[in-house]
Amino acid sequence: MRVGPGYPLYQLGNPQLRVFRTNFFIQLVRPGTAQPEDTVQFRIPMEMTRVDLRNYLERIYNVPVAAVRTRVQHGSNRKRDYRNARVKKPDYKVAYVQLAHGQTFTFPDLFPEKEQSPDGSPGDEDIQDKLLEEQQRRQSRDPRRGGVPDWFGL
Amino acid sequence: MAAASFGVLCRKALTGLKVSRSLISPQALASTGLLHTTLSRKGLEEFFDDPKNWGEEKVKSGASWTCQQLRNKSNEDLHKLWYVLLKERNMLLTLEQEAKRQKLPMPSPERLEKVIDSMDALDKVVQEREDALRLLQTGQEKARPGAWRRDIFGRIIWHKFKQWPIPWYLNKRYNRKRFFAMPYVERFVRLRLEKQARIEARKKSLEKKKEKFLQKKFPHLSEAQKSSLV
Repeated sequence: MRVGPGYPLYQLGNPQLRVFRTNFFIQLVRPGTAQPEDTVQFRIPMEMTRVDLRNYLERIYNVPVAAVRTRVQHGSNRKRDYRNARVKKPDYKVAYVQLAHGQTFTFPDLFPEKEQSPDGSPGDEDIQDKLLEEQQRRQSRDPRRGGVPDWFGL
Repeated sequence: MAAASFGVLCRKALTGLKVSRSLISPQALASTGLLHTTLSRKGLEEFFDDPKNWGEEKVKSGASWTCQQLRNKSNEDLHKLWYVLLKERNMLLTLEQEAKRQKLPMPSPERLEKVIDSMDALDKVVQEREDALRLLQTGQEKARPGAWRRDIFGRIIWHKFKQWPIPWYLNKRYNRKRFFAMPYVERFVRLRLEKQARIEARKKSLEKKKEKFLQKKFPHLSEAQKSSLV
């Protein structure tokens, strides 16, 4: 029985619920406002609780967690498309996780500007230069006309 | 039986990481034959790709796992693969969100589709194995109990049972649901049947028309001629 549409019923004396293959997928996000150094911000599915997230991070990712706080972000329903029907952006839950043992985390820059190496693609650059030269040749007028524009006859 | 073995495997896989923190050394474990070699301690770095790939336009990746390839793997391997794919998926989702934030294109978004396809195939294979086991052990075709019932509109539906802590005759919300149809609904049931009959008759007549047209246009390709020749 998959823990998809809600958790199974629990009554006193039932064995501890064990989930063998989680269906929860989380994303680390860059915080919009400045957060303390030990705080990591996640977007998690709506059905996940803070206890679930703590277990998830501790067991799957080996990350020691001190505290977890969650909130639900409402996705806007205000935009309207060409037929005036409302366009809903999905709601999502945001979790703020504080790391234990004084660890800090800063969100890295995942899109650094990489300088194009000259050894990488010499052939491409030559072709580009040739194309540019050909275009300039086509655009430049006949030198025998002495700078006179083409609008004038002959 | 399968659940117990699964539980043992689950505990092994999840506590394999914790074992390294204890005093048992890998050499001692190897002698007992319980050595797990994937003891990575990367932590939050696993939410991001290899730093060499940051800023690249394309990242090469292989094809997704097919159902047949997964059927050849043992349950333990599938369990480990599920978590490998889960971590990869989380990493790609993180990258996608960051790309949207920075208003830049995500490098190789097809990786995410491949991972999702692999996970769906894995789920399908595990469901197949669970179904087979349940059929052999108990003879039940479906995991979740249910029954064929007539709803308030006169339709025959498969009603799936929900889990309640109280019996059905004490359940106010369940008793408000009516699994019977009043006599004035019979007329609408008949109209629905007529509608379905009309749709099916239209389909059949269309098929016959097409068949007749093809017969007229290509008389030499008809099946009756072929059988007569044989």
